[in-house]
Amino acid sequence: MKVLVPVKRVIDYNVKVKVKADGSGVDLANVKMSMNPFDEIAVEEAIRLKEAGTATEVVVVSIGEKKATDTLRSAMAMGADRAVLITTDQGVDIEPLAVAKLLKAVIDEEAPDLVIAGKQAIDNDMNATGQMLAALLGWGQATFASEVKIEDGAAIVTREVDGGMQTISVKLPAIITADLRLNEPRYASLPNIMKAKKKPLEEKSADDFDIDITPRQTIIATEEPATREAGIMVGSVDELVAKLKEGGFV
Amino acid sequence: MTNAATAEFLADLQDALPKGRFRAVKAGELDDPRGRHVGLAAVVATPHCVDEVSTIARLCHAAGVGIVPLGGGTGLVLGQVAHSGPAPVVISLERMTAIREVYPSENAMVVEAGAILHDVQAAAEAVDRLFPLSLASEGSCRIGGNLATNAGGLNVLRYGNTRDLCLGLEVVMADGTIWHGLKRLRKDNTGYDLKNLMIGSEGTLGIITAATLRLFARPSKTAAAVFVVEDPKSAIDLLAMAQATVGEGISAFELISGVGLDFLTETLPDLRQPFEVRPDWCVLIDLGVSAEAVPEEMLLALFEKALAAGLVSDGVISQSEAQRQEFWAVREHIPVGNRNIGSISSHDISIPVSRIPDFIPEGIAKLQALGDVRVNCFGHLGDGNLHYNVFPAKGLDRKDFDDIRAAVKKTVHDLTHAYEGSVSAEHGVGRLKVEDLERYQDPVKLAAMRAIKTALDPKGILNSGAVLRAAGAT
Repeated sequence: MKVLVPVKRVIDYNVKVKVKADGSGVDLANVKMSMNPFDEIAVEEAIRLKEAGTATEVVVVSIGEKKATDTLRSAMAMGADRAVLITTDQGVDIEPLAVAKLLKAVIDEEAPDLVIAGKQAIDNDMNATGQMLAALLGWGQATFASEVKIEDGAAIVTREVDGGMQTISVKLPAIITADLRLNEPRYASLPNIMKAKKKPLEEKSADDFDIDITPRQTIIATEEPATREAGIMVGSVDELVAKLKEGGFV
Repeated sequence: MTNAATAEFLADLQDALPKGRFRAVKAGELDDPRGRHVGLAAVVATPHCVDEVSTIARLCHAAGVGIVPLGGGTGLVLGQVAHSGPAPVVISLERMTAIREVYPSENAMVVEAGAILHDVQAAAEAVDRLFPLSLASEGSCRIGGNLATNAGGLNVLRYGNTRDLCLGLEVVMADGTIWHGLKRLRKDNTGYDLKNLMIGSEGTLGIITAATLRLFARPSKTAAAVFVVEDPKSAIDLLAMAQATVGEGISAFELISGVGLDFLTETLPDLRQPFEVRPDWCVLIDLGVSAEAVPEEMLLALFEKALAAGLVSDGVISQSEAQRQEFWAVREHIPVGNRNIGSISSHDISIPVSRIPDFIPEGIAKLQALGDVRVNCFGHLGDGNLHYNVFPAKGLDRKDFDDIRAAVKKTVHDLTHAYEGSVSAEHGVGRLKVEDLERYQDPVKLAAMRAIKTALDPKGILNSGAVLRAAGAT
């Protein structure tokens, strides 16, 4: 069974995001970038399937700038077998539909039995690519997975839904999107990082595909959330009540 | 000896200051963090400005009443814990927390002594600068205490200890006079260096009320790795290799022992550890580099080189900031694991780096001859600073070792002295190591220290009994 995992290079989860002065977007200059944490969980799950003997090959795919090579090497250091990079022009935001179409093209070629994706990327929080990809392929989908078992040509997936858990069975091939509690991704060991440098990484250009990736949305403005104003200390209950009245809160 | 604070004296003191400058002792604030003693206080003063500190010192000086300056109370050698003798006036700097000025273009800032270290770091970050002093208690310790004890911490290898981070001081002297020394100069060769005398004097020569601190450019990219090494010798060779290849980018180089990891497994099983098979020794390396560099690649190149040289066998590298923080969490929880196990005796020592590989096993052999003990040796290997802590063997209780505790301490300190080391690397002398200082310190230096103490504090009121034995005490 071949498993394909799309991975995205995003601004590091622990970095304090700064909005560009002109409000045109988020400042990415010299900011630490890492693999999208949900994608890391997806990679881990695929590797565990391989270690359990269920999967035979794990292929990771990334779409983006040339620097996404680092993200693919990280995934291969964790244990993925090979990687495909589809390069796009620097600074162009690829929307979920375009990503899903490009992934479909790769999937048509690779013919995996299972795709495990992160449920969303933490940079724009779209939560759309997995679902769109399932629709384009006409495959079943199991989103927000917290547990995955493969049995008799189907994936038994426990999903985190509002108010509890839901367990569903989807026929393979299928798309699974990983939620936070699916697993805890392993650390990349340095000997494995050295080995990953020698694993195959195939590079293609988005221009090689007959797919329109021009953004359909226009970013009008990007703003920081309002900052909390400093509080004041009051000396007594009376003063507190007076201040609340003054501010029109009571 | 200092005089007891009479009711009349305390009344005069209160009259001399605005209202609300005195309070009772808060529960726990004068306790030794390691639980050995509780400090005494006639009253806790909370002055709001340097002039009020001056007034308190002047009155105490006139009456011969002792003063103990108090920061965050996190010191580990009883420097802030006056547990015997007449109860002193404790001057808490808790109300003097202002960041007075920040000079980003000069890489300097002026802060009051009561500012909490974490707030000082945050004030530097607000202007995109780094104040590099970083230690486990940074959320509660105060910068005045860091200066008074010349605190070390995690970034000494790269940025030096607190002494190296200070450009100027404002100090209230024993008689209440104020030394206005808040200069911001990198070069100032104008006679005796009073600033460096005050730093590390642990409140025995003056009360630090404000300081000019050095700031640095913030490294814009960071990454951490944990390398498995066979023994401390390999760790030291790796350090030399890292300094040659990565140079100034190394922010920290911390030795972690398998014993320390065992303590975490035993007492904090939920804490994630970097390796499934517990190594005997490993080192945490932290890099902070400029925007153009790629720290992960630098760490990988170092690993490849070290692997070829046979210095390392395995390792992990942070793939994200979250993982970097997880690696640091392991290092930072080692003291927690130590507390959970309960040490027989803890030692903060430094040894010339090249002699550490011989020191560690020799010490363990000598200690195991005394009893069934485990040694958790960890710490800032890059600085030659080891925390060399002795614990009961698994299943035994520290209480069973009460009769050998003194012998354990003496064994470690004698060996440290024989290896040309120091029995207090970064924690200071306080009241805990006064005897050690007398035993191991060069006698000429000790005599000079006593002469300086007498000259600057003739009545011996400032933190009496810390660093040097109080005059007349035995």
